[in-house]
Amino acid sequence: MKKFLFAIAAVAALVSCQSLKEEWQPVFTFGGNEPAEMKIWTESDLSQYGFTGTFATIKEMKDQYNKKTSYEKKKTSGHTITENVWIKGQVVSDDKSGNLYREIYIQDATGGIDLKLGKSSLYSDYKLGQWIYVKCTDLCIGAYNGMPQLGLEPDNTTTNEYETSYIDSQAVINSHVFRGEYGTPLSPRVVSEAEVTSSLNAGFAGELWGVLVTVKGLTYGNEIFALVYPHGILGHKKENPYNRVFLSDNGTWGINTWGMSKAKYVEYIQAGNFDDAEVGSGATRYGKITTKPIDYKAQMGNEVITAFGPDAYITYKEMMIKYATANYVSHYFKMGSTDIQVRTSGYAKFADKELDSRILGGSAIDITGILTIYDGNAQMSLITAPDDPDNPSVIIN
Amino acid sequence: MKRIILFLTAILAGVALSAQPTGGVKGTVINRNGRQPVENAKLILMQGAAQIATATSGEDGTFYIPGLDNGMYTLVIEAPEFLETQVQVTVNDGYVKNMFNLSLTGIQRVAEVDDDSFAAFDMDDSGYNDNPTILFGSNDVFNNIAGYNFSSVRFRARGYASESQDVYLAGIKMNDAITGYSPFSLWSGLNEAMRSKETTNGSEVSDFAFGGYNGVTNIFGNATNVRKGLRGSVLTNSTLYRLRLMGSYATGLMDNGWALAFNVSARLGGNDWIDGVYYRSFAYYAAADKVFNDTHKLGFVFFATPGQRGAQNASTQEVYDLTGDNMYNSNWGYQNGKVRNARVRKTNEPIAIVKYDFTPSDKFNASATALYRFGKNGYTALDWYDAQDPRPDYYRNLPSYFYDENPDMNRNNGIKWGWANEIWTHADMYPELTHINWDRFYHVNRIQTDANGKNRSKYIQEERHVDQQDLNLAGTFKYRPFDNLIVTGGLNARINRTEYYKQVADLLGGDYFVNIDNFAERDFAATPYKLQNDLDYYMKHGAAQTLVKGDKYGYDYYAQVRNYGGWVNGKFTAGNFSANLGGRIGYESFWREGLMRKGLFPGLDANGNKLVVDGVTVEPTYENDGSVVTSLGKSKVSSFLTYAGKVGLNYVIGGSQRVYANVGYFNDAPKFNQAFLSPRTRNSLVDDLKTVKTFSSDINWQYSANGINIRTTAYFTTIKDQSKVMSAYDDLQNAFSNFAINGIDQRNMGVELGFKVPTYVVPNLSVQGVVAAGRYIYTSNPTMTQTVDNSAEVVMENVDVPYWKSTLLPDGTVKQHFVPSTPQLAASLGLAYNRNYWFIDADLEYFGESYLDMNPLYRTDTAVNGPDNQITARELEYMTEQERFDPAFLLNFSVGKSWYIHYKYQLGFSLNVKNLLNNKNVKTGGYEQTRMVDNTVSKSQYYRFDSKYFYMAGTNYMLNIYFRF
Repeated sequence: MKKFLFAIAAVAALVSCQSLKEEWQPVFTFGGNEPAEMKIWTESDLSQYGFTGTFATIKEMKDQYNKKTSYEKKKTSGHTITENVWIKGQVVSDDKSGNLYREIYIQDATGGIDLKLGKSSLYSDYKLGQWIYVKCTDLCIGAYNGMPQLGLEPDNTTTNEYETSYIDSQAVINSHVFRGEYGTPLSPRVVSEAEVTSSLNAGFAGELWGVLVTVKGLTYGNEIFALVYPHGILGHKKENPYNRVFLSDNGTWGINTWGMSKAKYVEYIQAGNFDDAEVGSGATRYGKITTKPIDYKAQMGNEVITAFGPDAYITYKEMMIKYATANYVSHYFKMGSTDIQVRTSGYAKFADKELDSRILGGSAIDITGILTIYDGNAQMSLITAPDDPDNPSVIIN
Repeated sequence: MKRIILFLTAILAGVALSAQPTGGVKGTVINRNGRQPVENAKLILMQGAAQIATATSGEDGTFYIPGLDNGMYTLVIEAPEFLETQVQVTVNDGYVKNMFNLSLTGIQRVAEVDDDSFAAFDMDDSGYNDNPTILFGSNDVFNNIAGYNFSSVRFRARGYASESQDVYLAGIKMNDAITGYSPFSLWSGLNEAMRSKETTNGSEVSDFAFGGYNGVTNIFGNATNVRKGLRGSVLTNSTLYRLRLMGSYATGLMDNGWALAFNVSARLGGNDWIDGVYYRSFAYYAAADKVFNDTHKLGFVFFATPGQRGAQNASTQEVYDLTGDNMYNSNWGYQNGKVRNARVRKTNEPIAIVKYDFTPSDKFNASATALYRFGKNGYTALDWYDAQDPRPDYYRNLPSYFYDENPDMNRNNGIKWGWANEIWTHADMYPELTHINWDRFYHVNRIQTDANGKNRSKYIQEERHVDQQDLNLAGTFKYRPFDNLIVTGGLNARINRTEYYKQVADLLGGDYFVNIDNFAERDFAATPYKLQNDLDYYMKHGAAQTLVKGDKYGYDYYAQVRNYGGWVNGKFTAGNFSANLGGRIGYESFWREGLMRKGLFPGLDANGNKLVVDGVTVEPTYENDGSVVTSLGKSKVSSFLTYAGKVGLNYVIGGSQRVYANVGYFNDAPKFNQAFLSPRTRNSLVDDLKTVKTFSSDINWQYSANGINIRTTAYFTTIKDQSKVMSAYDDLQNAFSNFAINGIDQRNMGVELGFKVPTYVVPNLSVQGVVAAGRYIYTSNPTMTQTVDNSAEVVMENVDVPYWKSTLLPDGTVKQHFVPSTPQLAASLGLAYNRNYWFIDADLEYFGESYLDMNPLYRTDTAVNGPDNQITARELEYMTEQERFDPAFLLNFSVGKSWYIHYKYQLGFSLNVKNLLNNKNVKTGGYEQTRMVDNTVSKSQYYRFDSKYFYMAGTNYMLNIYFRF
């Protein structure tokens, strides 16, 4: 019996030793033990990631776009930076209001850049004015309809619409984008029409793209632009004109809100605002949205009608309600003789805010936001609500 | 001196031999587990190596061995399914030595299967139920072997859902009032106090309850039934917790008529296999019985099991393959070097019982019991507002989200795939990405500083509460008007009010959280009142409520349940034949009572008028019957008349064989959790709720003699009109959706065999085994209604789910769909050695025909036909297929031994090693995600989300060392 007792004691001792080693892994059981503050990166810390002490300016980094290889051109890709290029800039945008999505803009003295991080609610991690260090090596500088963007090499598809893709991967972000000290948020740069025109003329190289600006003295242009997709599941791309409806070239279409939430979009449709809108894009036009896809069978072909499934037998208008989503709206404003579009996402928390009657009545306004270029046009994205009590993006003069 | 003693002894012996011996030994053999008499125990009286006499215990467990000389003897007690026991007996002065109760311990089991035998599976609000059945009954050869050996695969007896197993405590049915689930967790850790129990199988009726079709277990729980004496044990195992310390003390029935019992325990630590799963659970129990006289007895019990327990989450096979670990658990992450689990069950639900027993005569006895359950039952989870999804294995973090060979999936970025693959294949190097990143939550929360200098938390840990106040009353009687007739019956009432709410458990470094609906904000950001979880607060204060730790938020409602019923059963005996006939009738009702007015479903004001919020009149939405959809106040009451009947026949053949059969029909009410479309948001009921109709029958043959034990059963059961409500994010609707399924029918049929037979070659070595072979299939195509949380609008109303029970493929093949979550074929074959307080068991097991739980969405025409509404063979087979798990072999080994020290103390150990083959690829459960991939290129077909699975641990052990005196 002693042997058995000894054996049991030995087993118990072994188990206990093992327990001490691994099994009593410390477990958090609520209360206290809060983590320390997260690391704030400084320039001197970055050497472990290959930083050699010299930052390129954002402009210099953007100039790398001109180094596109023939392969990249063929692939409709931006240029993937292979050199050890680092930039730094301060955050000038956030997505708190919902008008920007999955991207932040950083800015230095030479300009700004759209950093396509690919994560939502970035304002949780990136604060206005915070210094950001970006290791550009292996990132891709590209253009989207002329607008410079820094992300990753695009997908390997034959029909790229984007020269860069969102970074998405947190590992890439962690090894390329470093959050530094919290600086004072930058004041918007007040720009003149001439400066805007100059940048428009420069295209991709325009110094104002991605910069936080205030443009003054704008007046409402009584015109909007929006592109909506009637069917919620069928493709949205250019090659699917049967699933595109352009709201343009017809004044404001009765849209008096900065954007269209899902509910507001449905409200506009039900009110008949878009009844005269046509399905199609470019030269391919089918007819009004009050008609069913099946009635366009001759133009669209059997394959497209089949793709619609049972929805081929309801009107586009009904389809738009069935698959309603939030939609952006671009309102046209005049800055002298230059058009500036103010584009507002339907997911912005201020999307359904109506334009002030004074704006509609022709009062001049000052608008603050990120200036971008889209197909040769100047476009602004508001960061805060037009009437934000702390930081309004629209001032009516 | 020694010589003198020997001389005197010889003289005395000579005197004794000259007379007729009058000494003897008597006593009662009882089962230590339940303290019930053990019939047919074999008693062998030895003196030295010589066998002096043998006897067999009677029906009441008593035995008597007369005609013994004075002297010291060894009494060996053997009984099937019990450990052989030896006691020393001294016969003096020619008297009959009364040994009183000789208790036998059931063989083989290291520890009884209980709630602790199963990891807490985090089903993530999927609506699936993965609870196993817990088989009891050490005297039933099938349950004895299957109960323990099959627990590792979460076996469900006869394929029935766990809620069909009726579990009673002190005569009160304890199955959860809301879900019907068996409630073993309420007393886990109190093994000593709750050890005594009685069980029946299948549709058999017991003395204390009518029962259903999946057996009845009644745990006595009172002081008198706790094993007398002081006991202590230390247990360690490698799959759930590291250490269990347990102590108990019971006086037994004392001369003053009192019996007292106490039991305490602590279960602590992690385990070898699943990181983040841990216990920090305690348990206490105190009970007192007072026997006033032969007629009146009163008992009091109070116990609780306060503590916390980390849960295991399911992941997709992609995650398991990438990490190389099928036990990966996405619920935890490091916080200052400590493992912190986001999903922790925190419970403290005390139970108080008062029981009165009335025994005026041998022919009649009755009891009345009142039981009250109260306290808190919380389950933590992460909650976040306008922030990135914090789950490490969120599908957008995995390589498959970036690249897929199927061009339809439109995932073409090899670079991102490479990065994600690097992370997940080196998970240990990237703990901040492959586990929950608590540090980031704190950091994010600390920098969300508002104008007042306070930090608004973006991430918090919430605690979802299901707090029950459960009052149960039951009375039972047993009456024997004639020797051949026993009538049993009872009345029961249950008043249950369960409060569902969540509260802020941890602000994770922030100062406050805000009580608004994150999902509603996506659609109604411009309409602030619609975002309010507590609209009344908003209307009163003009802003959403800010929350601090401990505040209720999100939702708050009562589930009110009332059950009343009665039953009676008569058992008639004529010679070897007996029959029973019984019936049960009841009335069950339930309703929801909203305590918080939600902005999305505000209903009307107290005067029945439309609300005016922010200067706007809120137009209500309406149910199909024209009533207003509302989140606040009392819903309609659903009520059901329930009834059941049973017939049983039993024939004993020659004292060693028994043939018996049972037939039952049950009409049971649906449960609260199957009745409301979205109870967190509104009062809307599922349309056309029906009672569940079950027909069950079984026929059995049992043999027990000469150390041979066999039981075989054939059963046939149909269950009709079952309902289910599931919730999930629907990518096609871009909304959190609820799926209510009605009219699920199933048929369960099969055979059970359990046997234990001596080898006759090696003494004390037996062959034992069980086979459970069934076919559990769906026999109907239910209907489904889909709603979303953000709207009263019905997305799909009572649409058919035509591919639920089976799929007819174009080639004429019918692919049957099966009732999931248990192997339909399970077998065990092993050897058991049992001698001189040793037991050694080795069993080889096989599990096959186990299926994954199905979701209804994939079996609708919408899903199968795809966006183009064109059905193809490929789509049909792909979308409707039900996954069958690979079969598995397992090898288990158990050994145990106990020693008596100075005839007073008992020291023992048991060691059980499971899965000696270290098979780490055995799926024990999981579920299909109820969502489809959107944003695909092909517009002709939909694609499923990957399923999630749970796996069984590899080789694991449990060691128990105990000391009793």
